[in-house]
Amino acid sequence: MNMQKNMIETVAHFKEDFDLFPTANDKLEYIFDLGKRHTILPDEEKNDATYVVGCASDAWLVGECKDGILLLRGEGTSEMAKGMLTLLLDIFANRPIDEVLSFDPAKLHEMGVVELLSPVRQQSLEAFLKMVYGYAHKCKEQGA
Amino acid sequence: MSTVMKIENLEAKIGDKKILKGLNLELEAGKVHAIMGPNGAGKSTLSKTIVGHYDVEVLGGDITYKGKSIVDMDAEERALEGIFLSFQHPVEIPGVNNAYFLRTALNAKRKHEGKEALNAAEFLRLMKSHLEMLGMKSDMISRSLNEGFSGGEKKRNEILQMLILEPEVIILDEIDSGLDIDALRAVSEGINKMKDGKRTFLVITHYSRILDYIEPDYIHVLKDGKVIKTAGPELVAQLEEHGYDAIEEE
Repeated sequence: MNMQKNMIETVAHFKEDFDLFPTANDKLEYIFDLGKRHTILPDEEKNDATYVVGCASDAWLVGECKDGILLLRGEGTSEMAKGMLTLLLDIFANRPIDEVLSFDPAKLHEMGVVELLSPVRQQSLEAFLKMVYGYAHKCKEQGA
Repeated sequence: MSTVMKIENLEAKIGDKKILKGLNLELEAGKVHAIMGPNGAGKSTLSKTIVGHYDVEVLGGDITYKGKSIVDMDAEERALEGIFLSFQHPVEIPGVNNAYFLRTALNAKRKHEGKEALNAAEFLRLMKSHLEMLGMKSDMISRSLNEGFSGGEKKRNEILQMLILEPEVIILDEIDSGLDIDALRAVSEGINKMKDGKRTFLVITHYSRILDYIEPDYIHVLKDGKVIKTAGPELVAQLEEHGYDAIEEE
């Protein structure tokens, strides 16, 4: 993913990608495909504080602030979690905190895949977003 | 002359039948070579032998590609090295999605070349750009490989594979057979798009019709398992007028 793109442009780029696929299954398989870029966290970063509560499979998300930028990295254990984390980190990670806080998560629906997720996976997405915005607010409060 | 492939004294059989009987052929890099000859001359066997098809047993002689002998390489390795065969009768493979098949092939080649794999979206962008040029429907992406394709669709799909894999030596085994004029034009356009002065073509055909669209640099006449004559494109008219029997072995 070209990190020169801002969050809205990145979502638009993913929408273009997903629009290429003719069926819902193809779109979901593309999420699995994205998971091939998935990275893992060191064991010491996988703890209760970074655990994504409410995710359908085990997942962890680490958030840090540096010079007004929200740094995020995560790890998922299922193929879907790996793919979704890769997709979402492309959108949310390493962004200015103000950009993250002003981004409307409803825009994620424009990609045309959120509605294809099972209710449990949609719940996982909500859990991820809750953590991301939690980290972002914390950074803002700290003035980082 | 820069030679990309040299075939020397090649002898090969399929089953118990010896078909290639001391064939010699030199392919100049970046040129279009047409192989013409009567039925049973060994044209398809030659193409199968070059790509390492399991039907063929090489009995003698050698094929060198970019200075390296390839007769002991398996078919996959030859393909990864850039040798491509468009089949006369492409095989139908039910259950194997056309796009998956092609992406797997392309990414295997990219890996061999030390390049990163294309993800599904990057690949589909590439595939769709070629589909349009070949006049192919977008449902070709999700259909099973060649299953239920018309003759023309199968040949177009072979050219689609060629465009995506970007091989260096391209063997087209009767790519013109069974094509109507529109399909022939689309297929020829795809082939001409690949002509860049570096890629080498070996066009195997019975008829001169396709050579109106893909201008050859050399004509080789194959008869009874040997190349009996090599000449410029002017030979086509002579063959059309007098047939293969009038060609004397050089």
